[in-house]
Amino acid sequence: MTNVLQVESVSIRFGGVQALTDVNFSVGKGEIVGLIGPNGAGKTTLLRIIAGVLAPDTGRVMLDGQNVTRLPTAARIAKGLAITHQIVRPFRSMTVLENTALAAGHKITANPLTAIFHWRRAAENSRAAAILAKVGLGGMEDRAVSALPLGHLKRLEVARALAVDPSVIILDEPLAGLNHREAEQQADTLAALNAEGLTTVLIEHNLREVMRVCKRLLVLDGGRIIADGAPAEVMADKAVREAYIGKADDHAAA
Amino acid sequence: MSLYTYSLLSIVGINIMLAVSLNMITGFCGQFSLGHGAFYGAGAYAAALCAVAGYPVPVALIAGAVVAGILGFVVGFASVRLREDFLAVTTIGVSFLFVGFVRKQHWLGAEMGISKIPGSGLGAEGNAVMILLFAAATIAFSLYLNRSWLGFAFRAVGDDEQAARTVAIPASSYKLLAFALGTAIAGLAGGLYTYFTQFIVPDSFGFILSVTLMAMVVIGGTGSTWGVVAATIILTLLPEVFRFINDYRLLIFGGLLVLVTRFAPGGLAGIVNSLTRRLRRA
Amino acid sequence: MDPDPVYYVDLTLNGLIFGAMYALMAIGLTLVYGLLRILHIAHAAVYAFGAFITVIVANATGSIALGIVVAIVASALLGPAIYRLLYEPLLKHPPYVAMIASMGLLIFMEDGFRILFGEQGLTFTRNPYPTEIHQLFGVTINTVQIAMIVLSVVCLTALALFTTRTRVGVAWRATVSNPTIATSFGVDAIKVRYLNFMIGSALAALAGALIALLNNFVEPSMGFVVSYKALAIIVLGGLGSMRGTLIASLALGLVESFGTILVGSYLDRDALAFLFLIIVLMVRPQGLTGARA
Ligand SMILES: Nc1ncnc2c1ncn2[C@@H]1O[C@H](COP(=O)(O)OP(=O)(O)OP(=O)(O)O)[C@@H](O)[C@H]1O
Ligand SMILES: [Mg+2]
Repeated sequence: MTNVLQVESVSIRFGGVQALTDVNFSVGKGEIVGLIGPNGAGKTTLLRIIAGVLAPDTGRVMLDGQNVTRLPTAARIAKGLAITHQIVRPFRSMTVLENTALAAGHKITANPLTAIFHWRRAAENSRAAAILAKVGLGGMEDRAVSALPLGHLKRLEVARALAVDPSVIILDEPLAGLNHREAEQQADTLAALNAEGLTTVLIEHNLREVMRVCKRLLVLDGGRIIADGAPAEVMADKAVREAYIGKADDHAAA
Repeated sequence: MSLYTYSLLSIVGINIMLAVSLNMITGFCGQFSLGHGAFYGAGAYAAALCAVAGYPVPVALIAGAVVAGILGFVVGFASVRLREDFLAVTTIGVSFLFVGFVRKQHWLGAEMGISKIPGSGLGAEGNAVMILLFAAATIAFSLYLNRSWLGFAFRAVGDDEQAARTVAIPASSYKLLAFALGTAIAGLAGGLYTYFTQFIVPDSFGFILSVTLMAMVVIGGTGSTWGVVAATIILTLLPEVFRFINDYRLLIFGGLLVLVTRFAPGGLAGIVNSLTRRLRRA
Repeated sequence: MDPDPVYYVDLTLNGLIFGAMYALMAIGLTLVYGLLRILHIAHAAVYAFGAFITVIVANATGSIALGIVVAIVASALLGPAIYRLLYEPLLKHPPYVAMIASMGLLIFMEDGFRILFGEQGLTFTRNPYPTEIHQLFGVTINTVQIAMIVLSVVCLTALALFTTRTRVGVAWRATVSNPTIATSFGVDAIKVRYLNFMIGSALAALAGALIALLNNFVEPSMGFVVSYKALAIIVLGGLGSMRGTLIASLALGLVESFGTILVGSYLDRDALAFLFLIIVLMVRPQGLTGARA
């Protein structure tokens, strides 16, 4: 099995906080992996390093066997990576369709000197509409994003990420803010996309859905990977239980 | 038509080119620039040097555009490196730096500027027509830009640079191009101004001009080509039509800026949009 | 060039005095920026306002001291009024909107001063201080310059003590550098905003009054270039840091003072200030003292 994504001994420190320590893992083609861990474990930080928003202090990131540690974000996306944001970041001046169509035109916008000579949007618009229908935003195309509830903005994040034609997608809590049924639907959509061949990393706190759709779990705690394996085994692991139960105790105490 | 009318038309045309090109940088791409007057000045000086050296009009105009565009590209790097507020202050710096530099350069005529610049040979009427044609072309280009994929991506960069990067848009390249394009047009306007007045001094390109241009963009409605054109025409002609205004020019200007930002941050375009929406509903 | 060492001492002293005035101006901007992320350009109009009030009251009553006090009090009211009427309603928009409004207000007020007091501005009818010359350690210095040094040291030290030694001060400073902290200190964030505008405006008025005394006149456009230089200073200082602002102010005063002598034939004083700004920012995008984002 070839590795689509590989993270090698990545560490990063923010001032006094060691946010990630020697993180190693790889994701094979076609896998669907859940990345879980308590609040502040470093999940989003790891995503930001993979996407090239942050540079790690040590270690490297490989996409399709190629070292991309020094590449800017846009170039990594052009190589087949897609990400969604935990805190939604739609383009505020655009409609739902425009948000997605812009991403669907990523081949045109990859170079501004190409973009200047293109104006037709019909093909991208219809592709965007199809993707929106897939994530459950059909009929919302012309809505301004400022008027959208959080649940819809979460789906728009997913739609926009899918529109860049990724070979691997990393989603940062795409189910947060969705109700029980919506979360189930969204997870089903992600599982279906994975079945079509899209390699998927799902960062989530919704363990129910993670356990249901993921075939493998990675657990991050205090900036370290503490478990990696089949969901049932991982959840039976003592260290993992402690990480979660310890956290639960903290909550109870607070 | 009188000479006065031709000169008014020329000034309106030049201001339209300046404000519309600034709107490409600030309105379309979201990069705040308070140094637009400096690029206009760089273009004017480059064209003046060419004209004085005996080069034909097209060469001088192109030189103006190229020099300003290159300078804009360089300043654009500040937008790549610095956060938003720093960029605003840096472009203010560019504005002061340009005038302060030119004032001390003897080869640029220092405080006295460059005079006795050869004319375009078109006469006042011909000049006005040439300027208005360029202004029309600038408007047309701006409208096209806004519909093209370049404009589409500019909007994304202006909305949220980081998010734009996650849909494979190389935001830094876009910002550099916005600066290069917008400032090249300002440089071209500078070249036209050189042929229009045949006499240039550093103080015509100072910070007050840059602020005035930003005011035209904001009052017109940041990002709206037609709004900016309308505001430019109104703000340029108002003091000419009502002579008494001239004495209170800056007072009115400052007051308008405060009122528009306070009560109609969308500018003229925003007001028109909400009016038509209300009419349609009624 | 003059080899006399006293000449360089003179330049240094002059640079530091100007730096101190910049600091009085720029502290207010830093306070406002730290809390509200607004580049408060109209702060320079408050500075000019303070200068005009000083001259008017001094000429009317014959007391310069009274003029300064009235100017400080009036400005300490004007600043918060600007916040309440202009900025507060704009906080929901992107920060550049408030900046443009602020620029508009500066232009408006400056032209207002011009219309009210004339292009030439006003002069003191009786102001002996700038011509009272003293010899201190071989350097020539006038009374206003001494007052500038003493008052800025007193004010800035008082501010420093207030923000490090008193509970309210510590909470205030913490709020300025991180607005979300306010509630955890039990501080009323809104009151802090008014306090910022009050203190900042009072300091700006003091600077305006002192500069007016030094030049023996005030002109409508006296705030124009200073306002943008003060912006440059707070950017150099790393935005929102009082210590950085102080360092940047003094550095800029010195750069201008020496630069005008060394490269004055290539660049004017104002251009020099911004060249310094641009060079520093290109090398250290986070400012002179700011930490990396
Ligand atoms: N830019 C930053 N500067 C300083 N510290 C940071 C920064 N980003 C993250 N951290 C710290 O790094 C740690 C990991 O944060 P991160 O956001 O990656 O956690 P997470 O696992 O995504 O948490 P959550 O489940 O709440 O989203 C936290 O302690 C956080 O405070
Ligand atoms: Mg997170």
